Amino acid sequence: MLQNESEYIRILKDRLGGTLPREELDDIVSDYSEHFRMGLANGRTDEELWRSLGSPDDVAREIKAMHLVKRAENMKSCGNIFHAVIATVGLGLFNLVFVLAPFLLLICMVLVVFIIGVMFAVFGPFAFAYSILQLAGLPVFAIWLNPVAGVFISIGITTTGLLLVIWDYYLARFFYRVGIKYLKWNIAVIAGTEDVS
Amino acid sequence: MHTNQGDPMNIQFKKGVLEICVLSVLAHKDCYGYELVAEISKKIDISEGTIYPLLHRLKDEGHVTTYLQESAGGPPRKYYRLTESGRKEEHEQKEEWMQFAASVNALLERKNDAAE
Repeated sequence: MLQNESEYIRILKDRLGGTLPREELDDIVSDYSEHFRMGLANGRTDEELWRSLGSPDDVAREIKAMHLVKRAENMKSCGNIFHAVIATVGLGLFNLVFVLAPFLLLICMVLVVFIIGVMFAVFGPFAFAYSILQLAGLPVFAIWLNPVAGVFISIGITTTGLLLVIWDYYLARFFYRVGIKYLKWNIAVIAGTEDVS
Repeated sequence: MHTNQGDPMNIQFKKGVLEICVLSVLAHKDCYGYELVAEISKKIDISEGTIYPLLHRLKDEGHVTTYLQESAGGPPRKYYRLTESGRKEEHEQKEEWMQFAASVNALLERKNDAAE
């Protein structure tokens, strides 16, 4: 493979074409072609410039991750944050531990709280109905020792469940916001620094 | 002991301070990319390729803008210029860095005193 400007640009365009808007891609490409042009004019060789710029694949990966994180910030959605995380994880093995693992952990937390909340919110009304039936003296086997207490407890359970679900929504939003900040910091400081020799 | 260049800690260190370096050079004067890279790699031994994604991000965040200017006997060059928010950012980060560096230095020097 020839290590020159046109090959470098070709790889950049190839890796970023599907993700970045045309205008942004042209803007980035112009920087790199100008760098090659100026470097050659200053008596440096294509190979030397290629090496000092770093592999176009790495450059493209970093730019792509930056772009996807920005998109996830501007348009909040599960899909967008997922793509942003995957792109950042792809920047280095290191990030399997420092990005993917915490991400999965947070998702699990949000899910567990949600499931518990929903279970409470669903179970509560049933328990409530049951204690009413028991109060009315219908021939059902007693689950409540004291049906009056059962009324209040089941209201409590339902409310707790609903509150958990609402709270979980804010928790997820909080994680999202902090996560975006962390991804940005990660890309700015850590990404691409582990295999530079 | 690793070499300076290969030590990942050191590289992260450099990459982390790259932003303030770029902002600072641009606060001094507008630069085209190659000039900026040359200016910085004179002082800091860092992969030249990391500067362009950073410039791209700064532009995206509105801290820098670009404009084209004719060069003597060649195609026009893309110059980078700090915006108002970029100047503010430069100022804040510089303050922060100065304070941080002063604290670290004070700590390190005290350690040396104790060792003597």
